[in-house]
Amino acid sequence: MSERDAILARVRRGAGRRALHPGPHPPPELPGGWDTFAATLATVGGEAHGPFAPNALGDALVALVRRRTDGGRVVAEPSAAERAGRGPWEVAREPAVGHGFADAAVALVLGRAAAADCGAVAVLEDDAPHRALPFLCQRLVLLLPVAGLRPDLHGAWDSLPAAAWRSHHVTWISGPSKTADIEQTLVYGAHGPLGLDVVGVLD
Amino acid sequence: MNIELFVPCYVDQLTPDVAWATLRVLERAGCRVSYDPAQTCCGQPFLNVGASREARRLAERHLRRFGGAEAVVSPSASCVATVRHRYAGLGLGAQGAARTWELGEFLVKKLGKLELGARFPYRVALLQSCHGLRELGLGTPSERGPGAAEPNPTELLLRAVEDLELVPLARPDECCGFGGAFSVTHPTLSGRMGRARLRACTDAGADYVTGTDVSCLLHLDAIRRREGFGPRAIHLAEILVNGSST
Amino acid sequence: MTASFDRRALATLPSRGELAQHDAAVWDLRRRRDAAAASVPDWEALRERAAGIKAFALDHLDELLTGFEERARAAGAHVHWATDATALCRIVTELLAARGARRVVKSKSMLTEECGLNPHLEARGVEVVDTDLGERIVQLAGEPPSHLIVPAIHKTRREIGALFHRTMGTPAGEDDPERLTRLARADLRRRFLSADAGITGANFAVAESGSIVIVTNEGNADLGASLPPLHVACLGIEKVIPALADLPVFLRLLARSATGQPISAYTSVITGPRPGGELHLVLVDNGRSELLANPAQRSALACIRCGACLNTCPVYRRAGGHAYGTVIPGPIGSVLGPTVGALGRELPHASSLCGSCSAVCPVKIDLHGQLLAWRGATVRKRPRGERALVAAAALALRSAALLGPARALLRLAWPLLARAGRANPAAGWLEARELPPLPRESFRAQWKRKRSAQRAEGERRRKPESAQRAEGERRRKPESAQRAEGERRQGREVVEK
Repeated sequence: MSERDAILARVRRGAGRRALHPGPHPPPELPGGWDTFAATLATVGGEAHGPFAPNALGDALVALVRRRTDGGRVVAEPSAAERAGRGPWEVAREPAVGHGFADAAVALVLGRAAAADCGAVAVLEDDAPHRALPFLCQRLVLLLPVAGLRPDLHGAWDSLPAAAWRSHHVTWISGPSKTADIEQTLVYGAHGPLGLDVVGVLD
Repeated sequence: MNIELFVPCYVDQLTPDVAWATLRVLERAGCRVSYDPAQTCCGQPFLNVGASREARRLAERHLRRFGGAEAVVSPSASCVATVRHRYAGLGLGAQGAARTWELGEFLVKKLGKLELGARFPYRVALLQSCHGLRELGLGTPSERGPGAAEPNPTELLLRAVEDLELVPLARPDECCGFGGAFSVTHPTLSGRMGRARLRACTDAGADYVTGTDVSCLLHLDAIRRREGFGPRAIHLAEILVNGSST
Repeated sequence: MTASFDRRALATLPSRGELAQHDAAVWDLRRRRDAAAASVPDWEALRERAAGIKAFALDHLDELLTGFEERARAAGAHVHWATDATALCRIVTELLAARGARRVVKSKSMLTEECGLNPHLEARGVEVVDTDLGERIVQLAGEPPSHLIVPAIHKTRREIGALFHRTMGTPAGEDDPERLTRLARADLRRRFLSADAGITGANFAVAESGSIVIVTNEGNADLGASLPPLHVACLGIEKVIPALADLPVFLRLLARSATGQPISAYTSVITGPRPGGELHLVLVDNGRSELLANPAQRSALACIRCGACLNTCPVYRRAGGHAYGTVIPGPIGSVLGPTVGALGRELPHASSLCGSCSAVCPVKIDLHGQLLAWRGATVRKRPRGERALVAAAALALRSAALLGPARALLRLAWPLLARAGRANPAAGWLEARELPPLPRESFRAQWKRKRSAQRAEGERRRKPESAQRAEGERRRKPESAQRAEGERRQGREVVEK
């Protein structure tokens, strides 16, 4: 009997088959909305901007990027670049992994959905094909279509297309990288970005 | 109402005053109180060290002695928790569970009485009983999130005592460190936990510390006498019996 | 009769200062958890649902495991099965060796600690660098972690600064947490970029999609999983849950329970390998199937490793993680640990059974109930002196008739008990406290005496019962009122320290 089969046989003996799944969780009564999202994001060290109408987005992003880096390399994922238009950023075209982005100062990535109750933004593989980029950059800027914002995580989760879950990754990002491992002192930028900006986009 | 008094073994041996006070409080509340001197122990200390065979024997005996009672009331939340929640695990079903009460919850929930004519003009800290709070539901544990608040009969009774000032404690329901055999087998930890509670009491300016469990109170008082700081311990029943009519 | 755990607690946090620092730091996490829970209106309902999903998952675990394997394979991942720690180490070693991988970055995985993976790999010439900052600190210090979420909570900034100076050549005397973090960031970044393989754990595995879920605040797992060409994820078989839609229930509870944050900074749901990379999933049993088969203990497998039970436990806070000698300390560690050795068997007794752990557990494991169950299961292994005392006490309490002579013995022995001595069963009590005074009579004896005095009185006087009673009451002033009277006269004697 293979190791696999032996393990499964033991598990089968221990499992009972009696319990029923409790069913879907009814979403709580929570306020939602951009202001709630922005406030929650602030408590986890991120900063919300806008939301901006499409024709104002480009300028807002340029101004933000200039605040976040002084001449450093700015890389935008293709779908983010499409929304952002032209600006002081290159569009990421390297092969998918991303060692080559180790010197990225700022990354622009498009988010798809967000939950206001926890300040988390969902980033899909299609929008972040260069998986390591949002983690290697010094500062991450997420573009978030406001229509993708939901009051709670259940709603935000359900709003993602089924295809998203079949792709390699879905990453929920809430705030910059952080640690409190040294005397419980909160420090941003443990390994990932030192700062997170979420720029709202009105459709 | 006819009450059978359930006197925990250690109250019987170490703090008979508490048993007398419990009896008098119940009488003052209009009950007829009987006491069966043949009762011994509910089995809790044996359960706690894993001696379930001995615990079961004592539990069976306990249930036999209190078999015909309408209501069984005890000045000990932990003993009541044993009868209500741990007897089923010994294979004794839910016998005795519905009619066994801790003193405070009996007065408030069963009799609906808060005012007993008591007076105790001191600042008092309430030592929450872990068994009382988390197993008997004598209040809302501080761990609980929204959606399940429980009134605290001990607190309600204390607030109704004339001139008594209830002082809140930081970390309101942290364990005092008695834990039965734990206090003997883990003296460093038990001492650390007890001293921390006493310090919380003195920080709050308490003259007395009270509660529903003599065991916890004896433990704190014994630390007080060793360390030389901290409020005196007094059981809830002893406070309630103080004052006007004796 | 003092337990060795108690002595280890004293050795782990020997001074008042260390005790206070540890207790305050850990309690702070509990406080934050409380604030976070208070902001979630359906908190208790969420706990109930999470417990229900885990109960379902454990009850159908074999089906979920095969479903997970099938979908993970369909997505392009390789799935391996490891019976125990030895098997895990063997599988991972082979995976690395086959690709010539000698430099590995590892994110937090309690499972790999449990299985001793690091020393196994290092002995075979593989460099393993823990990338979670707290884990990296204890790795450099050569110590085990002392807390689930904050592994280096027992270390001061000065100690960490000195450690970094010694091991990484950082400036001497540097102890600012932010600067130290930046220094570690720079060092670890180089390792991420040059690693041959990344080893991670997984917080959840989803049967429906064959996905694993990795949760971090630092982002180190994502870097370790996405930069090197090989990603090996090790997870216990109990981590499998049915569906993607179940995840938000756990995610809304996890970070709030651990540190009070609404959610961790990074939650990655990974399905199959990254383009151009390889993903190997290692499913590990190592005693979990045994726990599953034990109905009294199986709910411990629901644990989502949040650490809330540690933070709330008054024993953990005042003993420190290293006192436990287990990979995971605290209440959950004491429930998972007793299978291993003498100290492990002691752990369920190192508790006052206050129940705070059960009250904070996001998946409602009856932790203190399980500690009690373990005590029952191991009672025959208790020290002989304790068993004798228990038997003697049980005998004395079997009949009220025996209590009289037993008390007489107790009265004789009481003053002896007050004196410390090795053979004294009350020695543990006396270490921290005075012995309470023993009243002259038990309540039972007083009651009997008063009742027979009443009866005698009644027979003599033949008065109506109510007058008799009133007379008796007037004569016997309640002792408690007497004492209260005495105290009021003497004034308060409270000495404040």
